[in-house]
Amino acid sequence: MSNAIETKHLHRTMGKDFEIRDLSLSVPSGSIYGFLGPNGSGKTTTVRLLLGLLRPGGGSIAVLGRPIPSDVPRVLARTGYVPERPQLYGMLTVAEAMRYHAAFYSTWEERRAEDLTARFGLRPGLRISRLSKGETGKLMMLLSLAQSPDLLVLDEPTDGLDPVVRREVLSALLDYVSQRDATIFISSHLVHELERICDWVGVMDAGRLVAEMPMQTFKNGIKRLRVADAPSLVSDTPFVLLARETGDGLAGGEVWVVRGWQDPMKQYFEGVGARLREVVDLDLEEGFVELLRTFRKPGA
Amino acid sequence: MFDLIDPRSPTPLYDQIADRVRMAIASGDLRPGEPLPSVRRLAANLRVNPATVVQAYRTLEAEGFVEMRQGSGTFVKDVGAARRDEERGDQARNLVREMLAEAARRGLRAREVLAALRDETGAEA
Repeated sequence: MSNAIETKHLHRTMGKDFEIRDLSLSVPSGSIYGFLGPNGSGKTTTVRLLLGLLRPGGGSIAVLGRPIPSDVPRVLARTGYVPERPQLYGMLTVAEAMRYHAAFYSTWEERRAEDLTARFGLRPGLRISRLSKGETGKLMMLLSLAQSPDLLVLDEPTDGLDPVVRREVLSALLDYVSQRDATIFISSHLVHELERICDWVGVMDAGRLVAEMPMQTFKNGIKRLRVADAPSLVSDTPFVLLARETGDGLAGGEVWVVRGWQDPMKQYFEGVGARLREVVDLDLEEGFVELLRTFRKPGA
Repeated sequence: MFDLIDPRSPTPLYDQIADRVRMAIASGDLRPGEPLPSVRRLAANLRVNPATVVQAYRTLEAEGFVEMRQGSGTFVKDVGAARRDEERGDQARNLVREMLAEAARRGLRAREVLAALRDETGAEA
């Protein structure tokens, strides 16, 4: 099995004016997959479909090689899930919440739970209702890691947490991945965080998948070019021209945003009598913004 | 040693990590026989994908800088003084290339950069 998650032509209508449309995702086994998209792009809905919490209107879903929703219980036994909003019983203590959670998973590892409790500095006797937001975030991560999942689905796992807690939570997650061959699916709009850890990215917008590729391809493929003496009409570009704008005045010329860039393509500019002044690398966030901007443009 | 890892840079993270190790070996900060941090520890510390660290270590192994011993970790190999000097030369050259590219962006000529370099380093140059 090469994909931990695979959907084909997934469809689901939510209310009157939102739908997941023709969504085909492939999340390679063993990858750390960043599921990016602005708020309201359908990330949480997709996560809920993957875990059998919503029924698809059409298309198919396979998680860990099994069909969803028909095989949900078996899949969930091997899947850790940290939802966007923590679902814990406030009247339980930390220790009780762990025992409660452990009862559902035959794969629960007490040792790991104890290690993480110490590492996160969680007090076992404290009631959930008394935990800070950061402590709640740590407990949610602890519960999902201690069940030794083959797949971990994290929906905005660090949203609203302070940087110190975010670091601790991510380090624990990476520590787990280096010990076990697990697949991590992280939905987030915190682009910089994903840039460090993910080896695959999928980008959502308005219920559709805009792009899905290895992180390095994504980062290297999109460039901003400064071009002088550009002809007004361009055709047959060896790259995909996403956007073309007049420069910022300081440097003059035009700014082109291109996809699929490779260095030998510099020659193209001589051929059309233009001059390529500079190739600017974009980081993940800029690439993400440019991609969505051009995706949303009518006719693009 | 890994403070300067920049996830936003277009240079792949594994390349950046390997580069830091090469530099440390070239400068003698890492001596032959010394262990590199374990994959697990470095990944958690840098908050990068463990696969990225493995890829960096494999690259270094292929280049002959380190040796990965099954089960016990990754160790610095004795590459010899000549190779260390060569590596230092490469590092310096890369630095100069970056500097010249940045100078070009700001509209400075190589000649001007060179003059400034002489001024700054004083008698050394």
